[in-house]
Amino acid sequence: MSPLLACSGLTMRFGGLTALDSLDIAVGTGETVGLVGPNGSGKTTFFNVLTGLYRPSEGAVRFEASDLFGRSPQEISRAGVARTFQRSRLMLDQTVFDNIALGALGRVDLGLLPALVFRSRFRRDLSALVEKATALTRRFNPHIAASLFKPAGSFTMIDRRRIEICRALIGGPRLLLLDEPSAGMTHEETRHLMDDLLAFREEMPDLAIVLVEHEMDVIRRISDRCVVLNFGRKIFEGAFDALLADPDVQTAYLGGSQ
Amino acid sequence: METAQLTGTRPAEVVRTQGLHRLLVAAIVALLFAGGGFLLHSEAQGEVIALLAAFVAIFVFAERLSAGRRAIALCRAHPGTVNLAAAVSVLAIAAVLREEHYTLLMMATVALFATAAAGLTLQMAFAGVPNFAGAGFFAIGAYVPAVLGGTGIPHLVVLLIAGCAAALLGLAILLPVLRTRGHYAALVTIAFGLLLRSFLEVNDVLGGPQGMKVPAFSLFGLSFARITEIGPYDVSFYLPYALAGCALFALAFFVVRRLETSFVGLAFDAVRSDEVAASVFGLSIARWKATAFLIGNAMIGVAGALYGMMNGFVNPNSANFGDSLIMLSILVLGGFGNLWGAVVASVVILVIPEKLQAIQEYRLVIFALLVIAILRFRPSGLMPRATRDLSALAMGGQR
Ligand SMILES: Nc1ncnc2c1ncn2[C@@H]1O[C@H](COP(=O)(O)OP(=O)(O)O)[C@@H](O)[C@H]1O
Ligand SMILES: [Mg+2]
Repeated sequence: MSPLLACSGLTMRFGGLTALDSLDIAVGTGETVGLVGPNGSGKTTFFNVLTGLYRPSEGAVRFEASDLFGRSPQEISRAGVARTFQRSRLMLDQTVFDNIALGALGRVDLGLLPALVFRSRFRRDLSALVEKATALTRRFNPHIAASLFKPAGSFTMIDRRRIEICRALIGGPRLLLLDEPSAGMTHEETRHLMDDLLAFREEMPDLAIVLVEHEMDVIRRISDRCVVLNFGRKIFEGAFDALLADPDVQTAYLGGSQ
Repeated sequence: METAQLTGTRPAEVVRTQGLHRLLVAAIVALLFAGGGFLLHSEAQGEVIALLAAFVAIFVFAERLSAGRRAIALCRAHPGTVNLAAAVSVLAIAAVLREEHYTLLMMATVALFATAAAGLTLQMAFAGVPNFAGAGFFAIGAYVPAVLGGTGIPHLVVLLIAGCAAALLGLAILLPVLRTRGHYAALVTIAFGLLLRSFLEVNDVLGGPQGMKVPAFSLFGLSFARITEIGPYDVSFYLPYALAGCALFALAFFVVRRLETSFVGLAFDAVRSDEVAASVFGLSIARWKATAFLIGNAMIGVAGALYGMMNGFVNPNSANFGDSLIMLSILVLGGFGNLWGAVVASVVILVIPEKLQAIQEYRLVIFALLVIAILRFRPSGLMPRATRDLSALAMGGQR
């Protein structure tokens, strides 16, 4: 069976800097891949290329049957790729619902007529979306579900992360990219978030996830397979147990210079 | 505690409190409009100053005192009542002041500038597209009836054409506005305004520097210029314009509010606040910015057309940069994204300098100081835009 996402020879150069160096990465349907690597190794760049924010210099990106190389973020979103950001990108003065709804705007009628004239149609879509957002947030934290119409800025850091994950999930993506969702959280909070994510996964067996994470515990618990990047190159791919023993990974993390 | 009390209340009582609340909201709105009407009408310096002081006091206390805050919350909770009370108040003011040329002229001017501000609100406050050429699009609107007014095309259609003309000419700068960002996009619109003005000045077909005469608006064959009495009452020539201006603002208000509380409004806000997040979730930045720019310019154009027909002439100077800045000050002063704020600010900026002879000479200086003070001490404006809350709409949709 062909994988859901297949990148081959994916390269991203910024001037003289090669941030991604002929990467071959595949992700299967329903698979969770842990993406690790020292700071600056290209993890976020990989996500930015995958979601169309950067146009890759070379390589190929296949997603299911379609070619996503060099496509716009809009086309890639439509194909079923959603993400969170390393630095939270919520609209803090807008309600939680408004933030989460952004993730579903690609799947509702955005025409001017339903907005201006045929309001009943819009209201039906809206009710359905509120229900969905309530169900989704309740899974991560009932408190968020109960305050769906409070400004996102009134929530704690960890709840904001949860809101961002809900925003990425509400559109029903096939592939979810999580960029350091636990950054700035305590161990306890991180554990919570991952429990919720694992519980959610059970119900969405087809959802593929790529998770960037520094905490090895989390990676071990959640990922089916790991990929390690260093200076934009893939230096390891395999099961978590083999990761720590790998000499290349050890040099990369213990500050071995190239 | 409070929830327990609420659930314990019987429906009849709930209905009664709701009714009382509505009545209270209507009274507040009527009182504010009555004060506004007085201000518009008053000539005596002492009276004007006293009214202004009263408004400032109401404004300050509304936020400092808990009763005031409750009143604001109540008004926000009953927007339908606010709108209805406002409409009735306007009609009442117009009926009372039916013969006052100058007051009605100012009422119409405020309504039409507030309509233009509604267009700018869609563009700048919602979608984040700068437009420093508001007066330019307003003037384009006014030139359309100047050209087409005498051709026999019904004037309601001429208004529509004026809106389309403003939107279409806006298309000329759409691409550069979308391709550039922030200050550069703003510069593109400034350049458009300056070019437009020079073009109008050298273009003989459009009357050159002298401009053109604009025929009076006529509705179903009845020219506003010939309306001097309604039934047994003598009325000012400006009364129909004041009413038409207010109707136009009501329409713009309706469109802007509906767009704001819809998926389109969500898209506008997302595109303005975070282009990266918006694109990653599939929104086309260009589509939404273009939508806001076109609809906004159409609104400004229609308002400008009616304004031109009321004044009876239009010239290149109508498209001057200073007037564009005045439109922007209305937005900044009133509160980015709040149309009632735009009405209040239009009164402050267009009416007060006319009323206070002492400041007339310094009006530009005073605007500048006012805008700087607002930006410094109250950056979201006199009446900040409320956080959109779609919960009530969603509840209705389930039934
Ligand atoms: N827009 C950009 N322009 C230039 N260099 C960039 C850009 N984005 C990322 N980089 C560089 O690419 C490398 C990888 O960065 P990044 O993907 O953020 O690493 P990680 O997420 O693994 O910490 C870094 O050296 C970074 O400076
Ligand atoms: Mg990163």
